[in-house]
Amino acid sequence: MIQFESITKKYANTQALSDINLKIEDGEFVFIVGPSGAGKSTLLRLITREIAPSSGRILFREEDILRIPEAKLPMLRRKIGTVFQDFKLLLNRTVFENVAVPLEVLSKKQKEIEKEVSGVLEKVGLLEKANNFPAQLSGGEVQRTAIARAIVARPEVLLADEPTGDLDPTTALDVVKIMEKINQDDKTTVVMATHNAHIVNHLKKRVIVLAMGKIVKDEKEGKYETG
Amino acid sequence: MKPVKDTFKVLRRSPYQAMAAALAMSLTFFVSSIFIVLIVGGQLVLKYIEQRPQVIAFFKDDTKETRIAEIANEVKSTGLVREVKYVSKEEALAIYRERNKDDPLLLESVTADFLPASIDISINRAQDIEAVTKQVKDRPEVERVITPENLVGQLVKWTKTIRIGGIIFVSTLMAVSFLIIIMVIGMRIALRRDEISIMSLVGATKWYVSRPFFIEGALYGIVGASVAVFLVYSLLLFYSPNIQSFLGPILVFPINPLFFLYLWLAEVFAASTVGIVGAAIALYRYLRIK
Repeated sequence: MIQFESITKKYANTQALSDINLKIEDGEFVFIVGPSGAGKSTLLRLITREIAPSSGRILFREEDILRIPEAKLPMLRRKIGTVFQDFKLLLNRTVFENVAVPLEVLSKKQKEIEKEVSGVLEKVGLLEKANNFPAQLSGGEVQRTAIARAIVARPEVLLADEPTGDLDPTTALDVVKIMEKINQDDKTTVVMATHNAHIVNHLKKRVIVLAMGKIVKDEKEGKYETG
Repeated sequence: MKPVKDTFKVLRRSPYQAMAAALAMSLTFFVSSIFIVLIVGGQLVLKYIEQRPQVIAFFKDDTKETRIAEIANEVKSTGLVREVKYVSKEEALAIYRERNKDDPLLLESVTADFLPASIDISINRAQDIEAVTKQVKDRPEVERVITPENLVGQLVKWTKTIRIGGIIFVSTLMAVSFLIIIMVIGMRIALRRDEISIMSLVGATKWYVSRPFFIEGALYGIVGASVAVFLVYSLLLFYSPNIQSFLGPILVFPINPLFFLYLWLAEVFAASTVGIVGAAIALYRYLRIK
């Protein structure tokens, strides 16, 4: 489904990624782990073409995403749901309105938007908070809102960049369980960047370890050893 | 309808910027409307004068009617005149009597012999008055030629000045409105940068993101032009008795409402174009979607 071929990414004098080769299959749940600055976020941002690699090729369903014309880029992004590291919620919109954004972008009818958003909010356990603003939510609720927004348009892939970053262990596990459920129930491919070893080791999924911009380990049912 | 609703929502969030842009547009198109009305009015007055006999040639008493008819034909054959009307001594007396019917003293002992025969010449274009006057003036049979040449000349000059002044003044105001719209929409883009960036990341097309700003630009145009035409219409309606008494026999009122409908449509089109182009420039300048 997603294939990286000899990808390198350089920011000024920093080598963020070097010679990355990897393949992610349909319906997989993959952890991208590694310490801060290992290149996890860069790797995810390359998939949505938020940034472009310095060299190499990225295929999404056999299509080279770097060759997609600018006007067709939104079509690629509609196939990918993203939970951003900094949430990127709109503070002047309610939970419901935030989650509705991807459907509005698709010009869905209001009735359909209401149905889909209510359904997904129920799935992440936030239906009763639908009319709250982000400032009125706890850290876990903010994360769940971000997940709801990422999955509401039924993407083929869900990318999550440190979704458990500032959460306590119980809430973090709750958030990851929601993502596991999405992966199992909807067969959505999930790629999650994290440095939370506890979660990675608990879920026993494929683990790709990055260090200094290189893949140092790629294991099915892998573990993340921080020591 | 959703993009329009969204635009109104955004306008409500910062109404003062919206008011500044709409006011600038209203002022620009109000001044434009005034100039358009002045130019059209000037044209109407000019047309009225052009339709009147602009050159009247009076003949010496001993000139035969047949000779006058010959001269009239020669003038007609130049192609510069629309009509040449012969006014005999008797007809001149009748006109004199009609004009002075309220003053019996002036009518006493006036006979047809006192008044000269004449030809009233109506000219196609005001600028040909001089040529036609010259043609009849030098003839030995002609006693005197009168012409409102000066008045027409002045009017043509004034209309031209108003037109040039109007173009300069309106262009300046248009440029100011244009810059204000670029500034206001640019500020809105800056305020919504996060929202735009998120929309783009979840798959919004550039058109989807830009649409509300184009609607906003067009809205300023529609509001501005409508306010301007309404104000000018109200002012003309209010001052119509004064204007009509000043213009005398030149009938300007009542103005055909269709004129204002066309003026409104033309100004809405022009103002919306200014708004949309302003929005496009602001989007090009401030919106950088990755």
